[in-house]
Amino acid sequence: MSQLLEVNEATMRFGGLVALNAVSFSIGRGEVLAVIGPNGAGKSTLFNVVTGVYRPTSGHVRFDGIEITGHPSHQVVARGVGRTFQTSRLFSDLSVLDNVIIGMHTRTKTGVLGALFLPGASRREMAACVEKAELLLKASSGELFEQRHRPAGTLAQADRRRLEIARALASEPKLLLLDEPSVGMDEVETDALIADIRRLRTERPELSVILIEHDMRVVEAFPDHVMCVDYGSKIAEGDFATVKSDPRVQEAYLGKAAVHA
Amino acid sequence: MSTHTSAELPGLGQAAFVAVSIQLLSAAFLYLILKAEGGWQVIGLLALLGAGFYLIEKRPQIADVVTASFSRVPVVALITAVAVVLLFPFAVGNNTYVLHLLIVAQLYAVLALALNFQLGSANIPNFATGASYGIGAYVSALLAINFGLSFWLTLPAAAIAATLFGFLIGIPSMRTRDTYLALVTIAFGVVVQQLLNNFTWTGGPNGLVGIPAPSLFGHSFASPLVVFGWKLPSQANFYYLSALLVVVAIITAHRLHSSRIGLAWNALRADEIAARAQGINVAWFKVLAFAVDAFLAAFAGTIYAFYVSYISPDNFTFLVSVTIMTMVIVGGMDNIFGVIVGAFLLTILPEKLRAFSDYRLLFFGIVIIAFLMIRPQGLFPQRIRSYGESR
Repeated sequence: MSQLLEVNEATMRFGGLVALNAVSFSIGRGEVLAVIGPNGAGKSTLFNVVTGVYRPTSGHVRFDGIEITGHPSHQVVARGVGRTFQTSRLFSDLSVLDNVIIGMHTRTKTGVLGALFLPGASRREMAACVEKAELLLKASSGELFEQRHRPAGTLAQADRRRLEIARALASEPKLLLLDEPSVGMDEVETDALIADIRRLRTERPELSVILIEHDMRVVEAFPDHVMCVDYGSKIAEGDFATVKSDPRVQEAYLGKAAVHA
Repeated sequence: MSTHTSAELPGLGQAAFVAVSIQLLSAAFLYLILKAEGGWQVIGLLALLGAGFYLIEKRPQIADVVTASFSRVPVVALITAVAVVLLFPFAVGNNTYVLHLLIVAQLYAVLALALNFQLGSANIPNFATGASYGIGAYVSALLAINFGLSFWLTLPAAAIAATLFGFLIGIPSMRTRDTYLALVTIAFGVVVQQLLNNFTWTGGPNGLVGIPAPSLFGHSFASPLVVFGWKLPSQANFYYLSALLVVVAIITAHRLHSSRIGLAWNALRADEIAARAQGINVAWFKVLAFAVDAFLAAFAGTIYAFYVSYISPDNFTFLVSVTIMTMVIVGGMDNIFGVIVGAFLLTILPEKLRAFSDYRLLFFGIVIIAFLMIRPQGLFPQRIRSYGESR
């Protein structure tokens, strides 16, 4: 059983700062991994190493049986890694529909010459994209679908997050990285988020998800595989109950004094 | 199917009436401003234009009705446009100065459309469009003078040479961004102009003289054009040629804009990091924008060289690049129609307002500052793509 993603002893140094210290983990097909840890622990750096934004100082990343360490982002996406960002990074002056269509960039292939000299093929490709994007939006939420011709910048917070996920799904990923999707959400919105991720898993049983989260309610909802990172090192891994009761995790979150009090 | 356009569609007859009359009015306006003599007439016409935009700004429904009408009867609109363009020289008559202005305006429209791929679609500040324009002009002129190549053969040769130049400037653009990229392109533009000035085989500061006029089916473009007994001055040949180039540029712009290439450019304009996360090879798409810009600019350069038959480095200065950039900003970033309007306005106005002619750079500077403060989206703002059945 080969894992979908294997990160082996990944270390990332920025000058004297060690953002990631020999972190190893893996995730299988159709699994959900929740990554927790205090602010600045290195969770987002981990995502950036996996997606090729950073080249790790040392260590290896294997995805789907292929070594992708240090491959440029656009190639990693083409292999099947989709991601969202902690602070929403939508193309705010483009329509909701265009945002999703741009997500299909790696699944379409018209080049400059094709666009100029085979306009029919280019138009059919776009028409197919529109159709697929509308399906994705409909599946995401009817409300978002209704707003598909509006600029993405005008959406409400919950719809932005849904659109980010729909855009990431448009690249037909095998692995979806969600960077703190619940940030800035109230309880109702967080519940909706949990429901969204659950629905995603039933619709796409093969899709693996790595979730960076601060909100323990979200982590609790996906308790099978949790990993805690602090000061760039992995300090605990296991199911949610195990990780939660680990003294080092409690220390990282609550401070030494609180644990020993 | 699409719900974003105005709810009530205009009827066929009404749409045709609106589309035709808007185009005829615009043609009449262009005619008047070309014929206007003295600053007051021009200022009066500008005031009229300003009032028009003010009205549209206050009542956006007007713009909706107009665009809906055009997309309702595309064939009628197209036929009217073709007729207006074809018949315009007949209305102008023997006024060669007006024809000259129109040719220059059309070439600038092509240049502005070329730059629009970068500045408008991808937000890459390129101050070297003038250099690509010059390279196109020089390559074709040199080929024609030294090797006797015909205009029609120099056209693709110049385009290929300029495209290679575009790739060359594109390379540093992979590593630099924003302000630094702007500086790199300025440097490239200056280098090209200095080289043209200092090489002996480019004629140095004296430039190249005696570029032969093109001919087509035995008709020399230097001789008057006779159509059904109507005699048009020789400039009419180049008017139609540059009009054809504008059409090519519009088709190019439209096809790229509505393909995944245009979307990728828009994505990297909005957010480079997010674009990368969608699998867009950002560096490659930037270089591509430079190449397409240079390709179109070279066509304009070739026609210019054969039209005036004499070129010198002074025709392709930094000021030319600034002018083109102003046209894109004034007309409207990423709006094909707007960019063309910007090119026409900013070609004709400085010519008409002779008082400003010594202060051209100042004039463009003030126009840019004014627009960036009052109307940063330009006269015709970028539109959200629509994927209706009409396209």
